[in-house]
Amino acid sequence: LPAGLSQWFPALEVLDVSGTGLTELGAELLALPHLRSLLAKNNRLGGPGSLPKGLGEAPLGRSLRVLNLSGNRFAEVPPALLELRGLQSLSLGGNRLHGIPSDIQELRSLEFLYLGGNFITSIPPELANLPSLSYLVLCDNKIQSIPPQLAQLHSLRSLSLHNNLLTYLPREILNLVHLEELSLRGNPLVVRFVRDLTYNPPSLQELAGRTIKTRNVAYAPSDLPENLVRYLSLASNCPNPKCGGVYFDSCVRQIKFVDFCGKYRIPLMHYLCSPECSSPCSSASQSSTSQSESDSEDEASVAARRMQKVLLG
Amino acid sequence: MEQPVQTETWKAQSLEELIRILHRVFAEDKVSVEEVQALMESYESNPEEWLQYAKFDQYRYTRNLVDKGNGKFNLMILCWGEGHGSSIHDHTDSHCFMKILQGNLKETLFGWPEKKGNGEMTKKSERVLRENQCAYINDSIGLHRVENISHTETAVSLHLYSPPFDSCNTFDQRTGHKHKVKMTFYSEFGERTN
Repeated sequence: LPAGLSQWFPALEVLDVSGTGLTELGAELLALPHLRSLLAKNNRLGGPGSLPKGLGEAPLGRSLRVLNLSGNRFAEVPPALLELRGLQSLSLGGNRLHGIPSDIQELRSLEFLYLGGNFITSIPPELANLPSLSYLVLCDNKIQSIPPQLAQLHSLRSLSLHNNLLTYLPREILNLVHLEELSLRGNPLVVRFVRDLTYNPPSLQELAGRTIKTRNVAYAPSDLPENLVRYLSLASNCPNPKCGGVYFDSCVRQIKFVDFCGKYRIPLMHYLCSPECSSPCSSASQSSTSQSESDSEDEASVAARRMQKVLLG
Repeated sequence: MEQPVQTETWKAQSLEELIRILHRVFAEDKVSVEEVQALMESYESNPEEWLQYAKFDQYRYTRNLVDKGNGKFNLMILCWGEGHGSSIHDHTDSHCFMKILQGNLKETLFGWPEKKGNGEMTKKSERVLRENQCAYINDSIGLHRVENISHTETAVSLHLYSPPFDSCNTFDQRTGHKHKVKMTFYSEFGERTN
């Protein structure tokens, strides 16, 4: 960047230095008090010192809204970047990132995050702490699983996950009610149930616990040893709406295919109290495609007898 | 559409001229696919001429109506952000021409799913279309997915559909199941619709 930039153009709001071969963005940036948008894609940024020190203290730290560093050589998200508290839109597409730092949650104003085309293998749950995130792009990476916490991104409207290494999604993903776009193609999503039985029957303690809960057998803390009182309080409700049952440790992990947003049939991981239960899959009942509905039922009946081997890591 | 008796080669010097020639071509009883494809390829993309129609959306690709072709065709401009792509879709028995105005688009061709099949759809071929190239597809050729695979550049394409249609089927690649969708315009004649 030319020295004296801020003297010549003190009112500069948008700076586009894309495709100029830059290896670093210098301290000249720090003196631009009104810079809102910085586009520096397709350069040679990525080494140490690519971004100037002191970004957080500079006016930039509050004024910058848009930062596009796509098509560079970043192997990690530069920590300096996380000081840009006012940032609404960040693109690091087409770099060499292997992960996302948990401190990404510092970018409290972030609405748009593009990380497609990197080498990312996992997603930190802290990503879910971005309250305004509405567009999240993670396509063309090496992601193997999605943390269920991502379902807390209530503002999320578009989620791009295509071309990764996902085999299933967490059931909580159904909670993203504002989601309008979801791309999942090019993932090795489980297509059918693995014909493998691995269901450990419940212990006697569990069976007793289940009976107490479902039959509403009255008990007072003085009736039982403390550890059992605690145990009884940990009962989880079986999500099957037709089953009022509960389970403790012994649950069935089942992959169920759900019509999501009326467009996609995706495998979700469910926990059920017994092999005879079937999961609710509320979306499936509102599915507009009758074909996929009957398929879900076929698969459910198969699942009733044959359980998915645990795919959870 | 059938082969005409005489093949004329037009070169459109501007977008306006392209539209004028298209109107004349489609006024005839017989229209040639090759002629329309060559005509669309002949127009050298000039952003000044179409920038008014190129309205991008953050979340997904947009369809922006340019001309209604006297009811014979719809001409529209599609704007693709980085990573934006379409689902696998058919073309409701119409002809579809797609010309790249800016950037690149990847087109993946699929075969029609088996009637009673419940399996993955078969990818037949894929290619990356470059600026000013024009592709053609119809239902007898197959289905396709179009995507901007660039993580750094946007893409803009010019589409002609004849006869015009406002709904089509999208297909789930893993199962072949189809789902009818209504298609809407993000803008018409340069004005944002609601």
